[in-house]
Amino acid sequence: MNIKAFLAGLTLAIVGGLASMPAATADSIRVGVIEPLSGRVAAVGRDALNSFQFAAELVNSRGGVLGGKKIEVIGLDNAMKAEKTTEQLKKAVDMGLSYIIQGVGSNHALNIIKFVGKHNKRNPGKEILFLNHSAVTTAFTNELCSFWHFRFDANVDMKVAALVTQINRDPSIKKLYMLNQNYAYGKSFQAAARRLLAKRAPQVKVVGDELIVPFGKVQDFTPFIAKIKASGADTILTGNWGADMIRFVKGAVGSGLDAKFYTIYGGLTSSVGGYGTDGKKVNLKQVTEMHQNHPRLPKELVDYSAGYMAKYKDTFYADRQRWLILMLAAAIDKAGTADPIPVARALEGMSFPGPMGAVQMRASDHQMQMPLVVSTLTDKAPDPIFYKGKNFGVAFKTDGVAERKDTSLSTTCKMKRPN
Amino acid sequence: MEVLVFSIFNGLLYGMLLFMLASGLTLIFSLMGVLNFAHASFFMLGAYFAYQISGFIGFWPGLVFAPLIVGVIGAAVERYGLRPVHKFGHVAELLFTFGLAFVIEEVVQMIWGKVPVPYDIPETMNVAAFTWRGLDYSAYRLFMLGASVAIFLALFVFIAKTRTGLIIQAALTHPNIVSSLGHDVGKIFMWTFGFGCALAGVAGVIGGNVLGTEPSMAITLGPIVFVVIVIGGLGSLWGALIAALFIGIMDNLSISYDLSLYPVLALFGVEREVEGIMQDLVNLTTAGLAPVLPYLFLVLMLILRPRGLFGTRDV
Repeated sequence: MNIKAFLAGLTLAIVGGLASMPAATADSIRVGVIEPLSGRVAAVGRDALNSFQFAAELVNSRGGVLGGKKIEVIGLDNAMKAEKTTEQLKKAVDMGLSYIIQGVGSNHALNIIKFVGKHNKRNPGKEILFLNHSAVTTAFTNELCSFWHFRFDANVDMKVAALVTQINRDPSIKKLYMLNQNYAYGKSFQAAARRLLAKRAPQVKVVGDELIVPFGKVQDFTPFIAKIKASGADTILTGNWGADMIRFVKGAVGSGLDAKFYTIYGGLTSSVGGYGTDGKKVNLKQVTEMHQNHPRLPKELVDYSAGYMAKYKDTFYADRQRWLILMLAAAIDKAGTADPIPVARALEGMSFPGPMGAVQMRASDHQMQMPLVVSTLTDKAPDPIFYKGKNFGVAFKTDGVAERKDTSLSTTCKMKRPN
Repeated sequence: MEVLVFSIFNGLLYGMLLFMLASGLTLIFSLMGVLNFAHASFFMLGAYFAYQISGFIGFWPGLVFAPLIVGVIGAAVERYGLRPVHKFGHVAELLFTFGLAFVIEEVVQMIWGKVPVPYDIPETMNVAAFTWRGLDYSAYRLFMLGASVAIFLALFVFIAKTRTGLIIQAALTHPNIVSSLGHDVGKIFMWTFGFGCALAGVAGVIGGNVLGTEPSMAITLGPIVFVVIVIGGLGSLWGALIAALFIGIMDNLSISYDLSLYPVLALFGVEREVEGIMQDLVNLTTAGLAPVLPYLFLVLMLILRPRGLFGTRDV
């Protein structure tokens, strides 16, 4: 038995132990968070769980929902494995949870969408809502849309739309090179970028468009950098993340490639940590719903970020986990009950004051509509990124905001609603 | 023509990094007959130790001390882990090193966390030595090339020409005779394994800051190292060198020339905008395939010539 299996077992045992504790009384509304809490990507899952627990503490400190009920966030470890996600879903059903949160990995999200759809059809009166905080596959709010699924993050197409909007504002961008990972996500990024570039930034010439074998299989990016250099591209548009992003950036900086990187995930804390000093040299942009150096953040959010930083020693990176919990609380209060169907109806069309302006849960496809901000990594931003108490010395500075009209895209969703 | 020379040069740089990694693995195999699945994990340990040491006292002391520590850990693994399972045969040894790889990964995550650490190229060497076709080649990349060539030469001389090398070679095939000549065979195996691991450690120190230092680096790099030593021939230093360079250069050529299968399919009347499974074939290019090509060669090599290019025995 290796240590990994042992740790996974131990975590399961602890989580299982917590779940059966008497804390789960009728006075609390329990929300299950299915994320990797062990294994290779556990850091991502644990950070997300922290965000939800912190947001729930805020709701509870203000007196909870429905005049005194607390929101209780329960971590359910899927170790980033498909069969464990199913296992935890069944456990959530046994525990009688009505709300499931997940976001790390679109394959797991799809698993949950299908499970919840089947479960709700067979068990009327015991429905489950799936609140998706980060799984970005656009199809979830298009052809695969479901009444039981709500996405609180922008989907791939919306993020690409924001990037292209910002690219169109920069007249120095003339030649653009696209490099993406050859799997479902990378291909949908590529398709959205092709379509939106032609429509919104026709003056930009696409001089390269290729797919690489994903997930760290490419060790040496030098030949790709050489091709990009030879193409004369001044800008790179990429959906890469993880090792594929870090090596790409390190390769480009090491070869002195002078091009702008437009990315979705280049600014993830784990990536920025991996760039090392190259993070100060690369001209890298990310698209997010917020970053901590944006000049006009609401006072409430600034205080909240400071509290998060004080508790976890991490920079508050994404706002969507906060607004997910606060909107859920508001919807429960508005519905006057914690039953999922009335709460789902209350969530439809609900607005919330987000960091860049109002965000709204679109009723037709359950896709949150939001402004997005494109920002550049720099060592001159006033407030550097901290992670686990460590100062990275770099942070993001706003280039421009893509308003809701820029990121809002039509949907093909034909939603079936319960009677 | 210039693209060709350029790609070969880039392939040489990458190939020599692969060789540095593969050399320790093939050395351990040639001398001990042990296929060390945890080899890339020792590479990872080298990178993490170098990151830690360079944070305190700089890159150069790291280049000395990190491989030393890795070597001592390797020797201890042989003495207290591998030796007891040795009597159960090679399969037991294989399984032992396989498990060890997971243990090392988990320990690394416990100590340094699950996110990548910022292990940087030393600032003094992070300057362009020359520029070719618009790409800068840093002094550090030339240092990598020089270091790997030096390792190859030193190893070659050590094994083939020195007395110690000869004793080690003899200990593999005739341990009883070597033992009765008064040499401590157990100790020879222990230090050989440690030395092989230290070589992986050196590769980690030198390559970790270029490839990125993170807990999954061993898992992603491990398979390609095995491809190198199988294609080159298990246990052959020359084979590892040729195979590493071959893979490095092929990788660069297939990305630079980026050939597509489409012209061939077009002969059979396939349209560019075809739907379904054919669409994947039409869009298939050598650049997209580049990281998979070495594995294709591995399969072909095992079918056509199981002993590899320079190997003396079948896999």
